[in-house]
Amino acid sequence: MTVGLNAFILVAGLLFAIGFLGVILRKNTLVIYMSLELMLNAVNLALVAFSRYNNTMDGNLFVFFIITVAAAEVAVGLAIIVALFRRRQTVMVDHLNALSR
Amino acid sequence: MLDILFYVFSAVTLIAALLMVLSPNAVNGAMCMIVSFVGTAAMFVLLEAYFLAILQVLVYAGAVMVLFLFIIMLLDVDKGECGFLKDKLTLASSFVGFALIAVLVCSAFAGANHLPEPGLMPVLENPTGSGAGIPFTTSSKSFGYSLFTKYMLPFQVTGFLLLAAMIGVIVVSKKTEEGK
Amino acid sequence: MTATQSLLLALLTPLLSAALIAFFCRRRGAIAATISVAAAASICVFTFLAIRGAEGQTLVASWDWLTFGNFNVSMGFLFDGTSATMLTMVAFVGFLIHVFSLGYMVDDKARGRFFGGLSIFMFSMLGIVLADNLIMIFVFWELVGFSSYMLIGHYLETKEAAAASKKAFIVNRIGDLGFLIGIVYAYWHFGTTNLNEMAAMVSVNPALISGTIAALLMCGFIGKSAQFPLHVWLPDAMAGPTPVSALIHAATMVAAGVYFLIRITFLFPVDVLTFIAWLGTAVAVYAGFCAYAQNDIKRILAYSTLSQLGYMSAAFGLGYPGIALFHLITHAFFKALLFLGAGSVIHGCHHEQDIFKMGGLFKKMPVTALTFLIGVLALCGVYGLAGFYSKDAILIAGGLGNTPVFVLLTLGAFLTAGYMGRLFWIAFLGQPKSDAASHAHESGLTMLVPLIVLAALSVVGGWIGFWPEQLGEIIRLDLDHLHHAEGYEGMHKTILIFGSAAWIVGLFGSFFFYGAGAKEDRLEKKASPVYGFLKDRLWFDEIYDFYVAKIQQRVADLLGFLDVFVVKGVLVRGSAGLVGLVGMCSKSLHVGNIHGYVYWFLAGLILFWAAAAGLF
Repeated sequence: MTVGLNAFILVAGLLFAIGFLGVILRKNTLVIYMSLELMLNAVNLALVAFSRYNNTMDGNLFVFFIITVAAAEVAVGLAIIVALFRRRQTVMVDHLNALSR
Repeated sequence: MLDILFYVFSAVTLIAALLMVLSPNAVNGAMCMIVSFVGTAAMFVLLEAYFLAILQVLVYAGAVMVLFLFIIMLLDVDKGECGFLKDKLTLASSFVGFALIAVLVCSAFAGANHLPEPGLMPVLENPTGSGAGIPFTTSSKSFGYSLFTKYMLPFQVTGFLLLAAMIGVIVVSKKTEEGK
Repeated sequence: MTATQSLLLALLTPLLSAALIAFFCRRRGAIAATISVAAAASICVFTFLAIRGAEGQTLVASWDWLTFGNFNVSMGFLFDGTSATMLTMVAFVGFLIHVFSLGYMVDDKARGRFFGGLSIFMFSMLGIVLADNLIMIFVFWELVGFSSYMLIGHYLETKEAAAASKKAFIVNRIGDLGFLIGIVYAYWHFGTTNLNEMAAMVSVNPALISGTIAALLMCGFIGKSAQFPLHVWLPDAMAGPTPVSALIHAATMVAAGVYFLIRITFLFPVDVLTFIAWLGTAVAVYAGFCAYAQNDIKRILAYSTLSQLGYMSAAFGLGYPGIALFHLITHAFFKALLFLGAGSVIHGCHHEQDIFKMGGLFKKMPVTALTFLIGVLALCGVYGLAGFYSKDAILIAGGLGNTPVFVLLTLGAFLTAGYMGRLFWIAFLGQPKSDAASHAHESGLTMLVPLIVLAALSVVGGWIGFWPEQLGEIIRLDLDHLHHAEGYEGMHKTILIFGSAAWIVGLFGSFFFYGAGAKEDRLEKKASPVYGFLKDRLWFDEIYDFYVAKIQQRVADLLGFLDVFVVKGVLVRGSAGLVGLVGMCSKSLHVGNIHGYVYWFLAGLILFWAAAAGLF
């Protein structure tokens, strides 16, 4: 394969940017959360690419941990969102501004 | 051949991600997300990280996104959340920000004076684990080996983390009784 | 008590009187009047004691007032012959005018304020007379300007008084700007502002005389003594009560400028002196012409004052400061007399001021009319009266020094006699031309006695041989110089002829031209373009009005706009707006808005990135 490390990093960077776009742009909490996961995913890709090109296993193992922790985080986060929905009957971020008073 | 695959899968990943961000319907977004994750898994395969590719599909695309779908459908979010496309200011500023990041990243890696590319080194078959940098192999045996030698502590801690997360989820999503 | 103590008491008594009146007696006019007149009397007493105590020596005393590092401002007295002479005149004439005001202002409701103003004026004027350094003179200069403002604007309800007081103050201020710059420059140049020290430095090293300093200090004189081009305030200042016009705008304040020049004679190079001489001559002739087109008795006298001030500065400019002082003193006597006489007339005719509405006053108010006549004759320089000696000396000095100046000054003498004659014949002779004039009555004693005393002084004031020896030393000196100058004898005869011709031609000519008790101005009837031109007074007021209203106002508006826009808008509101912006951004952290948090994360990320990239 002649594709170099830079190409992978480029893709990871663009993926990260798209995820960030989603976090800023959307008002639905769930979609924001999914965009966060997208950003994590981008980081994973970058790590794996570095790991391969540096000929070491450390990056892959780190991705392993990231996937695990991300899964746990998603579970807890979604539970919180559900609890929030039960309280406020909405998941739109601009309605969840009780602190502003 | 592999290059073409790379371009295809990276295009799939990026386009699916973009679709997810821009789609008004959350369920549609979740489905596009799954496609994006699968694309990422394919890229892991291209990088000869086979174990991780499977892990990605199983955990991320399989468990995490399914959970997302469950919750989205549970909360039954209204479809009428197209407001973000009508808010011109937010739209414009977001795209400008995105463009900036994109340009930054591209210029770092693909423009003139981009970062130097390290070469792809050959892969060893037999792992020789040692304290410093575990050499890259494609077998999952080296995963296990590293997990139980170099990364023992993070491994155990992650176990505890999963336990805590499980208990936390149960507690948080409990319905409160009347009068408590 | 020593002379210094007497001087200090003389200076502080009117201040005390003003303070008493200001704090306690503003409504009680009678008490205020008594306090003020008592203060004026005590000034006379203290002056007498001081002169006797000084025994002809120059008295110097000073106290440190402000010290900044090694810059020292002191207040002190320089009591030499010149200041003794001036002090006597100010004290005595001031006292007489105070007594006159007792009668004149008897039915004025704001008497307390008036007498308070008179007292503060006496304090300020004495300060100028006694001062020994430029800064002290400047302080009291401004105080005199303030008293003048307060007293001109005494009739608060009339618009003319308010406008005139403002005009006087502002025009004076313009002159004072040059004065202040001159003081600063003098301090920088000499290292001191003390008059004695500067005189000593200059006598040792004549190269220290600087035309610039002299010209700048002269600006104060131009403002205060109403020379070109800042003369416009004096005619308008007649809106104040007549005693004020007599005291301030005839005898003392406007003379303060000339007195100041005499004090700093040693600073003047020849070219500045020549300039002053020409300035004085110009205003003497100009005012003489303008007086022909005025109908208000006080305005005619105001232009006469302008004209005589021109004579004084011409005398100074020709190099004879003593003669300028001489004319100052004699002018104070007869001009105060004329103004007080006009006051008596106005009071008697129930505040009628137009001469064409008076008439036949000689029969109704004999004492006033007689003293007024003496004043007129003294002013015109009739032989033997006070004005003759001083005017004579000025004309001789002009003839010996500078022929064009001499010609113009002689022309001024003709004009003076002409318009004073016009005034006297029309106002005092003939038949009464209005109701008020026909019911005129003689004024009371408080008003007549000062008139009589001043009339006596106008007669004997010029007989310098009779002056007490402590006074007028500088006058005698300069007269001596004059008598020993070349060509004195021939010039003396010429002046005698011209001077006599001036008053004879002027007085009798105006009698036959205008006629006694005329009903209207014959010049206006016969040659009304000439009259109209004279009435316009060379359009000084109009030019200044145009400048202020159009040019200065526009500049002020522009600066005001810049002030509002730049200072208020950008700097003040801008900085407040910036703070508000920072506050709003910080507020987003505490509101619960997820997107706000994201932006903050981004900001922090960028900061860290920059730090990692080595930007700072």
